[in-house]
Amino acid sequence: MGNGYTSSEGGVEHTITAKGVVVRFGNILALDNFSIDVPKGIVGLLGPNGAGKSTFIKTVLGLVSFDSGEIRISGMDPRTDVMAIRDRVGYMPEHDCLVDTMSGLELVTYFGRLSGMTKEDSIPRSHEVLDFVGLGEERYRPTATYSTGMRQRVKLAQAIVHDPEILFLDEPTNGMDPLGREEMLELISRIAASNKSILVSSHILQDMEKVCQHVIIINSGRAITQGPMSVLLDQGRDRKRLMVRGDPKALLSFTDQLGKDYQIISVSEEFGQMTVILVNGGPSGPLLETAKRIGVQVRSYAPDKLTLEGAFIRSVKEGA
Amino acid sequence: MGLNPIGYKPWDGKRTEHGRRFLVVAESILRHKLKTKWFLALLIIGTFLVHVMPLFIYSMMPHRELEAEVMRDYLGNGMYFIFEVILVALVCSDLISEDMRSNSFILYVSRAMGVKGYLLGKWTGAMVTIGLFTLLPPLAVAVAVTATQSGSDYLGSLKVIGQTLIAGVWSAAMLVPVGLAVSSLTAKKTYASVGTFMFFFGLMLVSGIFSGLSPDWNMISPPEVLYQSHTVLYGLELSDDVNRFLLGAMAFLLTVPPMALVYYRIMRKEAGK
Repeated sequence: MGNGYTSSEGGVEHTITAKGVVVRFGNILALDNFSIDVPKGIVGLLGPNGAGKSTFIKTVLGLVSFDSGEIRISGMDPRTDVMAIRDRVGYMPEHDCLVDTMSGLELVTYFGRLSGMTKEDSIPRSHEVLDFVGLGEERYRPTATYSTGMRQRVKLAQAIVHDPEILFLDEPTNGMDPLGREEMLELISRIAASNKSILVSSHILQDMEKVCQHVIIINSGRAITQGPMSVLLDQGRDRKRLMVRGDPKALLSFTDQLGKDYQIISVSEEFGQMTVILVNGGPSGPLLETAKRIGVQVRSYAPDKLTLEGAFIRSVKEGA
Repeated sequence: MGLNPIGYKPWDGKRTEHGRRFLVVAESILRHKLKTKWFLALLIIGTFLVHVMPLFIYSMMPHRELEAEVMRDYLGNGMYFIFEVILVALVCSDLISEDMRSNSFILYVSRAMGVKGYLLGKWTGAMVTIGLFTLLPPLAVAVAVTATQSGSDYLGSLKVIGQTLIAGVWSAAMLVPVGLAVSSLTAKKTYASVGTFMFFFGLMLVSGIFSGLSPDWNMISPPEVLYQSHTVLYGLELSDDVNRFLLGAMAFLLTVPPMALVYYRIMRKEAGK
């Protein structure tokens, strides 16, 4: 049994580590030699549909058994310490899962008790977490009458009612309006401030970019990219987007010359206008001189900031 | 809505034992059913029709002690079985199907209780609720008959009270698994309740049609299985035309495979492997 132990590598504490995990469903390889290290803080788990995100979460919760490899959650093995792990984990599923006949308060209290709280503890604690997620008098109404935003808040409340060390949030902002999304992200940040590990899976990459400190990108059952968000986005620090027009022969000659002087990431042409993404950490003067010499017209030259969406698409394409 | 300007507060209370958490599910079921008007109405009507008359008749009739035959015949009453089936069909109908419809399984099984704890909680909740009809009133009848007996063999009567306790629990245990199994096969509680009732009714029908060919077909009938198993539980002799193997097989088939089916359905739906 573990006792809050977290593995540490390179000075970073990891609450979840997976090494070479393989999960098969018949002939389907759901997780293929899957290896990740999840540090404390908010971690984005990104991947296309069917990449293996939900399978990994279910494996950590002990709902799916793995064929080989090793997983440690706060130092515990999900094969032997599954109940202790579940006490330390909170899970907010993606799909609708609320018991319609219960009110928000009843539901949170009920699942608090199922997580090991006494009745005396779970009722005041449920009020506390419902206040925290911003659900007011609506908490006394059956959840069947709730809007999508309210349902998401109750789902979050039931996941945090027992104060878990690790929180899995599967598409927490799904179906919410922009204001609701902002508030959900704010709640996630507030929870993370109390030294918790929060693993967030979402398709809304702008949301992930706002809150996550660390990113893990999964594709085809493998973790293809992982690391701090700042490092991932910093990879595109010197990227520039150059748009030029001119005679086709001159454009061809210009790109040939650019290829010799700079690292070119992509070249595309549309309606006689060529767009070149290149890496240039130095001054722009030499590049503009080359354009002038060859006779192409520079329409724009600006930094091409790498977004999480761009990094995600690039990682998935490279990993495919 | 909007957020309150409050931070996240940790909770540092003591957790309950894992093995006891299924009781929370059971308690929730009992509490919910006792708030339901139709359940209370059925319970009151059923208790009045099935249990109140025997309570007065057996207590007022001159008797030396509580006899096992009397209790066995009282629990073998057709009305007792019909009300029990109706209660099982209605009580169990939403226990799994509602969770199936709302996908709330995952909230249970992702907690430290797992599929087995979830099932145990549902089964216990249904058993306690049905026990309000199959166990408590027969016990009350047995105690009343003992209290008014003219003889001095209270130990013998106490033994029959104990047997009544087991028979009452068994009455619920024999029918609840089928109710849960049918509930796990559909996402609509109406279908589940009709399905459960029709399952028992269908078996009775088949038994009635074919019992002319061989008395063994009687063992297909759930009320017959209940009556004969009560005979065994009360320590009475089974008649010669009762096939003991078939009786055991039916008791097994009505209890174990249905629960295995529910387990399998939940594992397939949520755990996925």
